Amino acid sequence: MTYLQAISDGLREELRADERVFLMGEDIAVLGGAFKVTDGLAAEFGRERVIDTPLAESAIVGTAIGAAVVGMRPVCEMQFADFISCGFDQLVNVAGKMHYRQRLAVPLTIRLPSGGGFSGGPFHSQNPEAWFMHAPGLKVVAPATASDAKGLLIAAIHDPNPVLFFEHKHLYRRIKEDVAPGRFETPFAARVAREGRDLTVVAYGAMVWSALEATADLDGASIEVLDLRSLVPLDERAILHSVRKCSKLVIVDEANATCAAGAQVAALVAEHAFEHLDGPVVRVATPDVPIAFSPPLERALLPQVEQIKEACRELLEY
Amino acid sequence: MSSSNTERALPEVLVSMPQMGVSVAEGTVAVWHKRAGDWVQKDEIICEISTDKIDTDVPSPATGRVAELLVAEDETVPVGTPLARIATDAAPGEAHPDEQDAATAGAAAADAGAAGQATPDAGAGQGGARRVYSPVVQRIAAEHGIDLTTVAGTGRGGRVRKQDVLAVLATRDAAEPHDREPPAPPVRADAEPAAPGRDRTEPLSRMRRAIAEHMTRSLRTAAHCTTIVEADFSRVEQERKRLRSSPLPIVARAVIDALERHPALNATLEGELLTRHRNINLGIAVSLGERGLIVPVIHRAQELSVEGLAQRIRDLARQAREDGLTPDDVRGGTFTITSPGSYGAIISTPIINQPQVAILDLEAIVKRPVVVADSDGNDAIAVRPIAHLCLSWDHRALDGALAAQFLETVRGRLEREA
Repeated sequence: MTYLQAISDGLREELRADERVFLMGEDIAVLGGAFKVTDGLAAEFGRERVIDTPLAESAIVGTAIGAAVVGMRPVCEMQFADFISCGFDQLVNVAGKMHYRQRLAVPLTIRLPSGGGFSGGPFHSQNPEAWFMHAPGLKVVAPATASDAKGLLIAAIHDPNPVLFFEHKHLYRRIKEDVAPGRFETPFAARVAREGRDLTVVAYGAMVWSALEATADLDGASIEVLDLRSLVPLDERAILHSVRKCSKLVIVDEANATCAAGAQVAALVAEHAFEHLDGPVVRVATPDVPIAFSPPLERALLPQVEQIKEACRELLEY
Repeated sequence: MSSSNTERALPEVLVSMPQMGVSVAEGTVAVWHKRAGDWVQKDEIICEISTDKIDTDVPSPATGRVAELLVAEDETVPVGTPLARIATDAAPGEAHPDEQDAATAGAAAADAGAAGQATPDAGAGQGGARRVYSPVVQRIAAEHGIDLTTVAGTGRGGRVRKQDVLAVLATRDAAEPHDREPPAPPVRADAEPAAPGRDRTEPLSRMRRAIAEHMTRSLRTAAHCTTIVEADFSRVEQERKRLRSSPLPIVARAVIDALERHPALNATLEGELLTRHRNINLGIAVSLGERGLIVPVIHRAQELSVEGLAQRIRDLARQAREDGLTPDDVRGGTFTITSPGSYGAIISTPIINQPQVAILDLEAIVKRPVVVADSDGNDAIAVRPIAHLCLSWDHRALDGALAAQFLETVRGRLEREA
């Protein structure tokens, strides 16, 4: 099952099991979504549970918040994560603060196809996770594997809080693995993608695969790769456990570097694992510029396997 | 800060027993890291506390001098009880003899005025080669008394790396194994006597004490009976291969189904009060090797599929081994499964996890010749994977017929259900 099919499967399982679950988004019913994630769901569950909306993200999120507050379990699709900026106020100021202000749960899931690597240009390639990590009251998850895509999606739908589910477009049809049938939840916690003891690479989403490839055989060094899976809550224990073991840390972000998820990881380690560090914390991230259409330019911006390799090599020798 | 008292209006901060998880009402001070008179930094660990088997560090809420310890080690007090007073207007360096050395050493480095007895080590770091050491290297060196100026560095520009200090440590420990007694030597129950004529006696660890107390109390309290059935694990073995998991989640799911059919076993008995629980909170015994055993709980287990259970069991076992469980993770269990069978045992009589009324023990799956009937009803002998399911139950809460029916339901689901 591909990463994309795993997401579809998770949606289907939840739609079957819980009549409170329904989907909203642009072109998700008749067309089956821009990426075909919701293909066939309208036929199986009807247009009342798989709803095509106008091109108005603020209205989608706002409507879903209302439905969530009265007990439904809405799952919204942003056609591209980039477009969530139009729904920003509803999410950050209404959904995120609802429980604080009025003690009302907002069991809302927003699916955000994110990430670059396919020449999508500045409006279709972004990784805006950190915008929402900064806003209290929201949870943020970003799966790297097909199993985690399904398990985290189901956990997000079950969660009483608004959860932003960042699904990486570049992984949709590239990642294929056996995914367990039925309903299961993946915890909002990190996963050790590969165990090691000389150096830790922290990553999430598509960068987990780049990190694994870059460090599969690095001059015989034993390199641990930690897949964060959840950015809020951040699995601080797992990060600190790994860094205290390996004493050297490379953090990979596909997002723009400043204040990215990786910056938070670096701050955490500086504060709580200082006495275990044997070298500077090294970050590999996209510079603070828009993502270019041009394939060679885009490659120059996004963290590449070679770059991660080089960063690890440098730090190992330090 | 406490309100002004009579004679002394000392600015003071109280350290209180923290709330660890919503269901915890009290805690025990396990170890004090500070004594009265010690200097303590804000957020420095002042003591360790424990609730059941979970330990937690308590950071100091303020910088100052520990004025008084109000609760002794091993004493159990309710959440919110003051544990110690910290005087926040005190200055380091005064009073307390033990601190004198450290304080002067620090002061000597700062203004070199006082005693002027700069230790040879003090300047070693900056001396000569102008070497800078990473935090981890400095820490290891300080903990083991290694003079870093004598360590050869293999990092860039001769930089001393973590592995360099560890190498020094390894050669030193190999060279003088008897010189340094390791702190708190672990006693291995299964090990040969270390040296002839030298027995070792030491107090039980805190976890072992907790286990000892729970187990003897359970045996004293409950009317233990153990009922055993044999189950054919052919279907479980197939299923397990498909799921690439241990048989435990499949057995757990069968137990949950059986508990739904026989809710009298999903119960707790406290005194003469028997509570039948709506949710099935399934405890799974996790061995921590020599350290002991802990039983994390899967809350509302009835909502999980076999895959979901497998995932939760894996996560809880990992957290247990990394000391990552919170008090809430080990509370509220309504039924427990233990599986020493993974070590080869074939029958045992588990002790009930109080105040629950039953515990199921999954034993080793062993191939045995059994009598089976073919489609024509003819008996034949076949080789099948067989395991014993041993249920210890509390005769105060239920009777043998029900225990047997429950086991029969579990067996049926394991052998036949898809």
